[in-house]
Amino acid sequence: MPPGRRQGGAAIGSAREDTAEVKALRILWGQRLRRDRWQVMVWVLGIGALALFAAAAIQQTFGEQSSRAEILQVAVATPAILMLRGLARGADQGAFTFFQIYSFLALLAGLMSTFLAVRHSRAEEESGSAELISATPAGRLIPAAATFLHGTATNVLVGLAVFAAFAAQGLDPAGSLLAGAATGAVGMAFLGAGLLVAQLMGTARGANGLSAALVVLAYFLRGIGDATGTPNADGTVMTAGAASWFSPIGWGQQTFAYTGDRWSPLLLPLTLAVACGGAAWVILQRRDSGTSVWGALPGRVAARPGLGSATALALRLQAGSIIGWSLGGLATGLLAGSLGGAIAAADTADSNITGSLRAMLQAQGVSLTQLFISALFSIAGVLAATCALQAIIRLRQEEAGGTAEILLAAPVSRTRWLAGYLVLGAASVVLVMVLTAFGAWFSLTVSRDTSVDGWTVWETAAAQLPAALIYLAVPALVFVLRPSATIPMGWALLGAGVVLGIFGGMVGLDQDVRNISPFSHTPVPNGTTTDWTGAWWMLAIAVLAALVALLGMRRREITTA
Amino acid sequence: MGTIIQTVGLHKHFGRVRALDGLDLEVRRGEIHGFLGPNGAGKSTTLRILLGLARATAGTARVFGLDPWAQSVQVHRRLAYVPGDVRLWPNLSGGETIDLLCRLREGTSGRASEGAAYRQRKAYLCDAFDFDPGKKGRAYSKGNRQKVALIAALATDAELYLFDEPTSGLDPLMEMVFRRETLAAVERGATVLLSSHILSEVEVLCRRVSIIRGGRIVDGGTLDSLRHLSRTEVSFADDGVDTRTLGGLGTVHDLRADGGRVRFGADSDRIAEVLPVLGALGVQGLIITPPSLEELFLRHYGDTSVADEHDAPGTATGRRRHRLRARGHG
Repeated sequence: MPPGRRQGGAAIGSAREDTAEVKALRILWGQRLRRDRWQVMVWVLGIGALALFAAAAIQQTFGEQSSRAEILQVAVATPAILMLRGLARGADQGAFTFFQIYSFLALLAGLMSTFLAVRHSRAEEESGSAELISATPAGRLIPAAATFLHGTATNVLVGLAVFAAFAAQGLDPAGSLLAGAATGAVGMAFLGAGLLVAQLMGTARGANGLSAALVVLAYFLRGIGDATGTPNADGTVMTAGAASWFSPIGWGQQTFAYTGDRWSPLLLPLTLAVACGGAAWVILQRRDSGTSVWGALPGRVAARPGLGSATALALRLQAGSIIGWSLGGLATGLLAGSLGGAIAAADTADSNITGSLRAMLQAQGVSLTQLFISALFSIAGVLAATCALQAIIRLRQEEAGGTAEILLAAPVSRTRWLAGYLVLGAASVVLVMVLTAFGAWFSLTVSRDTSVDGWTVWETAAAQLPAALIYLAVPALVFVLRPSATIPMGWALLGAGVVLGIFGGMVGLDQDVRNISPFSHTPVPNGTTTDWTGAWWMLAIAVLAALVALLGMRRREITTA
Repeated sequence: MGTIIQTVGLHKHFGRVRALDGLDLEVRRGEIHGFLGPNGAGKSTTLRILLGLARATAGTARVFGLDPWAQSVQVHRRLAYVPGDVRLWPNLSGGETIDLLCRLREGTSGRASEGAAYRQRKAYLCDAFDFDPGKKGRAYSKGNRQKVALIAALATDAELYLFDEPTSGLDPLMEMVFRRETLAAVERGATVLLSSHILSEVEVLCRRVSIIRGGRIVDGGTLDSLRHLSRTEVSFADDGVDTRTLGGLGTVHDLRADGGRVRFGADSDRIAEVLPVLGALGVQGLIITPPSLEELFLRHYGDTSVADEHDAPGTATGRRRHRLRARGHG
């Protein structure tokens, strides 16, 4: 055969290979789109809606340049506000909106992307379905490329949603486009991070936990950077502290959307995305399917003496999540308690404004520190509620996954099984709040802050318990009455509660609507005149729901459907 | 001989689907009772009702004379269960799961599971089943997950063992170990209900069987009595013998010659009548095959679209294993 023809043949051969790979990529991307169509839609629309409502609320409440400048001066003087919001870059309406909401949007985009990455990588490998795909010509690498492509497309949609939301509120289109791009770019960074973590961790649960923790870490790092930033002379523009430069969300803030419109900082998150994706690709090329960089530790040959009841098993299964949420509570508490010192330090920056704010609060018998403790403890309350909800979700996973069957074929009654999880869930709620209160008390004591007494800290922690217990008992009732709805309904209830109760004020929702959320009824201790009615009502509802669930469980079959 | 399991007119409906449609089952003390039927016939549904995991729509079920739905804990104290598809807790090792299940079954009072005898038996079974208890649940293959449930069931004495296709995923060597240990459990006085579609396994272990189809028992009794209802296959070399005398016998059916052999079926309870005739003919290469359970089974399922698959003869023992599938049984 002449050499020319051979070369031609080889070229045709490789072209065929390319098309086969492209075809596999297209099929797998389509499959990911189809699997995720609802999830992607909920995330994209949710993030877009948050941007839209926040921008609308700001326009309504802070329509005037002067009122925005005033509140910004308060914020810049108050590191705690900066921690939760962002980097102040002037009183322009667009910049103010970006300051208020961008870090939340980026946080959500990050979480969405890590979950997406793990769902289509480690989770698939763990369940074994990746093996089916890898056995086809798609191999081990094309699915990862499809996941990256799918994540990229989703983040483009997120960016467009944010752009559309801001632009629809009449903000500058160029700035809005940059704000959207900054949100999507953070999502991209965490898409890469999620894919890399999925190579390291052996389980989907572990990979989700670690990569979500990285997103939250990024949020807090930029929070510390913003809180320790340097304000300029008029007190409405500031330069971020060093910590922000270690956070993709901090990089996004550096775009100074609407005032500076700098695109170059977005190279950082995009580079991180490519670097992490590339590292994941290299690891994927070298490792066996189903294995991970950090291998599983060998288990015990025999059980510890304590593992001898259904409740002991529940504790063993939930220990990781309880420890995680408890540490979250402790960190929140430490943060809440340390804010007092920061506020005192910031007092000198603009004594005029903080002074009037303080006078206003003291008239209501509430100190500034106490206000922040209440605000941050309500976040800890959400952590406790999530921990409680996860106990019930585990219960359903045990049932649907088939492990409940061998457990309940032993002499363990259904009621007792449920009761064990309820007791465990209640105990973990109390644990999370005790650690939160301890953290706050500890940092208050260390910083010698006496603006809040120890008793109020414990009272504020106790006030969070009833709402969290609602998220134990009501999902338990759903679990008994409609088993298959437990997990989606549980998360939906929690999501609605958080959006209405915690963020409801931020996006300017009506109080009647906000009152639907249990978190809206959590008492705010203010010394002598605390109104505990809501707490008692919620406690009564939780106890009643738990009792009905226990009674109903006696009459319920075990079903995987 | 007491009755351990008794169901009368058991019904279980899922919407319009009748998973059980008047099932009558009786399992006597000390026997290994084969519970036969293809996928979807209602075997697992029956076991779930006997375990109190599901509630019968109508009819009664009694295990040790107790109602398994209302008195599940008392019933479960005395039995051990092995599902056909064992799911394990991913972060618990096999050894931990075995210990947990045994401790649960012993209750808090007994604590025999702490004793040396238990540990010895667990070690023996792990060895016999060639099982590594130190791996995490997620790391086990199908067969090894099955072993976890089998070892947990056999490591403590139960009065009743409920096995739902217990050897699915086990290799033939491990099936042998399962048979040996099940027989040992019966020696100790236990009763076994073995739900299976692996006929060779049932044939070796069980004296009595119940055949389930479409949610009801269609045949049952001892294997011997069932065999009598069926035909024995006889064949010999076709080297020109005159088979007319054979054809005249009332017990001979379907006489034909194919592939160089003469074949016919004979009524199993009248096989002795054929032997003198065969002797007189001086036949060579005589093979008499008693009816296999497979044939009994096919008789009940033959009219639905039955596909019998033969495992490749290349499996470790070269043994044929018959699996049946019947479509259209919900």
